[in-house]
Amino acid sequence: MSFIKGGGIELVLLIVGILALWSVLSQNIPNPSRYLPSPVSVVLSSYDVIWKGLLPNYIGQTLWRLVIGSAIGLLLGIPFGIALGLNRTVSDMFYPIMNFFQSISGIAILPIIVVWWGNSEKTVFVVILYTCFFPIAFNVLTGVRSTPMILVNALRTLGASRLRIVKDVLIPSAMPHIATGARLGIGYAWRAVIAGEMLAGRRGLGWMIFTAQDADLTAQVILGMVMIGVIWIMIDRFALRPIEADTIQRWGLVQR
Amino acid sequence: MPAKLVVDRLSHHYPDEYTGEDVHALDQVSLSVEDGEFSAVVGPSGCGKTTLLNILAGLLPHTEGSVQVDGREVGGPGPDRGVVFQEHAILPWRTVARNIGHGLEIQGIARSEREQRVQEFVDLVGLSGFEDRYPHELSGGMKQRCALARTLCANPVVMLMDEPFAAVDAQTRITLQEELNRIAIATRKTILFITHNVDEAAFLGDRCFIFSRRPGKLKATVKIDVPREKRIWKDLLSEKSYTDPRDEILRLVREEVFDDEE
Repeated sequence: MSFIKGGGIELVLLIVGILALWSVLSQNIPNPSRYLPSPVSVVLSSYDVIWKGLLPNYIGQTLWRLVIGSAIGLLLGIPFGIALGLNRTVSDMFYPIMNFFQSISGIAILPIIVVWWGNSEKTVFVVILYTCFFPIAFNVLTGVRSTPMILVNALRTLGASRLRIVKDVLIPSAMPHIATGARLGIGYAWRAVIAGEMLAGRRGLGWMIFTAQDADLTAQVILGMVMIGVIWIMIDRFALRPIEADTIQRWGLVQR
Repeated sequence: MPAKLVVDRLSHHYPDEYTGEDVHALDQVSLSVEDGEFSAVVGPSGCGKTTLLNILAGLLPHTEGSVQVDGREVGGPGPDRGVVFQEHAILPWRTVARNIGHGLEIQGIARSEREQRVQEFVDLVGLSGFEDRYPHELSGGMKQRCALARTLCANPVVMLMDEPFAAVDAQTRITLQEELNRIAIATRKTILFITHNVDEAAFLGDRCFIFSRRPGKLKATVKIDVPREKRIWKDLLSEKSYTDPRDEILRLVREEVFDDEE
């Protein structure tokens, strides 16, 4: 986050510059309220939704889905990745399959999920879970597989059981990969939850953007987009990065 | 004196990783190490030294012959044989103290006793003041001391050391060799030390086993009759009781190396 700590003024100037460019653009096109409302009208439109209590409610809904969906994704993905990584033959077999599913994004599987479960809350959760499970499990598997054999052998010669080796060597050794997998997975899940809300028609930020477009409220569409970006930066800055830094950097596994 | 480690007519074959050809690594090796003895295994590279150590450690199943520690047949890794590897192999996510106490933790020793024993070995290898440091904060020599202390602290019957000082710089190596000698005096451990360095083998060993080129056979055994207390590099370089066996070992090893270059 050095660009915030070190260059605070530069960042503010950059944002001001973008806003200025945006204002100029919106004043020089016909019908700006439909094609590109100015930053001021986006802020004004937020007054309306905040006043009605809709925006906080929608943000809460979307965050709730992200937290529950990715928590289940982590709870299932981490043990699954570890279990696969324990056996060379099993992991060699699953590796390409995991890689395959990791490449099919949540948005690409949404249509078939809608066919199966319709426009329900379940559909949204399944898409989030699917989206974060594979990058998490795949990265954990990679982490377990890349554990130096010499560390495992050292523990074996100290008389360690298999369970002890998993706990004391494989899991800590896979930590940088687990952290990467979690960050990637939760990042993908954040995109998936917005897409899921749009297509499966549930309240939330995605739903807000979608219905605003229908009602020709472009300012609200842009407001929703800005909220998605701002909230993600806050999640990354205040939740994901500190966890990563706290464990991995202290062990000297990742030098910055 | 009873033998702590007995290797009897041990042979080992394995298929080459790339060509699939049968590699004859060890051929009818018999040797024994007595209680409290420091033995060194020397030989040219590819003579099966590391294969021997992996078999003794139980990391590699042997195909022929027998290996006994304290009268019991070896059938897998166990805490009766402690291993110090060429690379330090300590865990980066554990502090020095928690690495050293790891063997005791595995054995289920209570925390208070563990802490006391750990401190004893921290002091023995000269890591006092570094107990709470992580390995990445230590020098190469200190990491290897930590690995040595971890193995000693678990109190094995036999210590197996696989070229433990090969990866450190020459100056540190000399210091570590003298320290290991001091530790051998203090703990009276039975040690099997593998190296390709003739000076190191003669400096540390009570007895040196010289191996032939592949298939590794025990070619000769040379005794070094220098009292442990006198093994200090600056005194030893002109000492005949050291230089004579050292030259003998060198001659035997060179025969193996130069055979290669006909």
